[in-house]
Amino acid sequence: MIEIHNVSKNFYGLKALDGVSLRIGRGEVVGLLGPNGAGKTTLFKLIAGLLHPDSGKIRPTNGRWPTIGYKPDRLLFPDHLRVTDYLALVAGLSSLPAEAQEQAIFEALVQVDLVSQANKRIGNCSKGMRQRLGFAQAMLGDPPLLLLDEPSNGLDPNGQAEMQALVKKLHTAGKTILLSSHQLEEVTAVCTQLVILNNGQVHYQNSIVEALTISPHTLIQADRDLSDIAAIIQAQHPDIQVQGAQIQLRGQAMALRRDILAILLQAQYDVLHVEQKHVTLAEIYARAVQ
Amino acid sequence: MMQRISLLTKYFFRTTLRSLSGVFYLLLTLAYWYLLFNPQQQTPDIAYYQLLIGGFGAGLAFLVTLSVAARANDAQHYPLLVRLKSRGEFVTAVLLSSLLITLLFQLVLMLLGLINGPSLTLGALLEIPPIWLAPMLLMAVLALHASDFITIGWSRIYVFGLLAIFLFGQGLQNESLAKVSTSLSRYALNQSWVAMSSNLENFANTLNQTDGNIISRLFGFVFWPFQALAEGITNGYFTANQSLAPAILLLYATVLFLLAVDLFANKDLAFSE
Repeated sequence: MIEIHNVSKNFYGLKALDGVSLRIGRGEVVGLLGPNGAGKTTLFKLIAGLLHPDSGKIRPTNGRWPTIGYKPDRLLFPDHLRVTDYLALVAGLSSLPAEAQEQAIFEALVQVDLVSQANKRIGNCSKGMRQRLGFAQAMLGDPPLLLLDEPSNGLDPNGQAEMQALVKKLHTAGKTILLSSHQLEEVTAVCTQLVILNNGQVHYQNSIVEALTISPHTLIQADRDLSDIAAIIQAQHPDIQVQGAQIQLRGQAMALRRDILAILLQAQYDVLHVEQKHVTLAEIYARAVQ
Repeated sequence: MMQRISLLTKYFFRTTLRSLSGVFYLLLTLAYWYLLFNPQQQTPDIAYYQLLIGGFGAGLAFLVTLSVAARANDAQHYPLLVRLKSRGEFVTAVLLSSLLITLLFQLVLMLLGLINGPSLTLGALLEIPPIWLAPMLLMAVLALHASDFITIGWSRIYVFGLLAIFLFGQGLQNESLAKVSTSLSRYALNQSWVAMSSNLENFANTLNQTDGNIISRLFGFVFWPFQALAEGITNGYFTANQSLAPAILLLYATVLFLLAVDLFANKDLAFSE
């Protein structure tokens, strides 16, 4: 849907984005991860058209810019307006036909569980409610591309679960979503693609399924330190690592699990547990931002 | 497009009127009325009425546009901007809402000014829209250029710097420029730039021999419409040339507005948070 080609953006000589290239496919949910100051919000603003790239191009893959629903990270609204009045303003700007606006606003309020607060002034809304309102306004008018900058920030665990369910529902409905988050579980739960930004550069990019299935490994936990027999174990295969009382088998070395267990038992070690593991998102993230 | 502009105009109109600045502008209108149209003293002069209320409208348009633009320059409007087909719609709404607010207060002043004031004939009433609207629109557009909302880099300096040069040039006498030209000619001669020195000397001589202040008139041409409007109002009638003044002001306003739209369309938005 959107192609970002070698985009760079500087602010007062500081590189916010440096040669970022990405392809956001139709119907994908792309999770954007990265530490604070990595350039996530800048990327959102560039795609939303609020900023212009210094170099590089951002273009729609089919030549026509899709309508965009944007929820910024900062929850700033006209505080004097009521929730419904604000949504009516957004609905009007979204070129929704007048007769469809009321229904669209009601549906958006239902989806974010804000119906009971519809007549409340935004200034009196809690952070969680403002977060929901931000989500509701982004969904209004049924835009095919949603830019959600930290959509569950400030929500309680139930609220976060509801947001995740909503993102999944929107994904099922065929929406393309780019969301940023600091919560790795959230990204694992709802995203189909993963992009990790650090210092304005893309440090990792993969589909979530592939990211989590690559690098499987087996962990063997012994009852005490293995330094006495570490050399014997590591001599079995170069992909075997011994650290303290733990042995890690990667790749083809995983097939040697039984042999390693035999060596341990023979050397009078007790095996506490054997675990088949995949790399976690936390590990991928830690490596990418290192 | 019209629906989106009208929605945003309504939004800015209401937001500004209900804010503290709305109250301030009302107080300003009342103070202006009380000071310049004191109901205890009769003001029968229609020219006074047209001139002072027109001037008030132009000044207020500048102030109101500055405050609406400051309000528009807020990060809470990012989600709204993303929904628009063009950023020009947003600038247009800011300008229209500013003009509507100004017109509202001008109408208040206009009605208050009629208390013990001049009796408006139909002819005088029909003269009012072009006389008042053109300078008001120009001042509102100038205020857009003065605001952070539109400015990119040095654009504000360029626009108002140019205006300052014209104002400065308007007061420039032929003799002063001739003196500068003579000094430059001497400097050029010292540097052995003979041809340039000779040209500058000739220019100084021409200026000294020319009747009237040609330089002042050249620069003053830009401000002629204001002068023509004021003269027309005080004379009680407009000559054929003078009646073109509102149209020229509208032309200035249009060019500056298109420039404002272009600047806003090409700027990186860094609204205040």
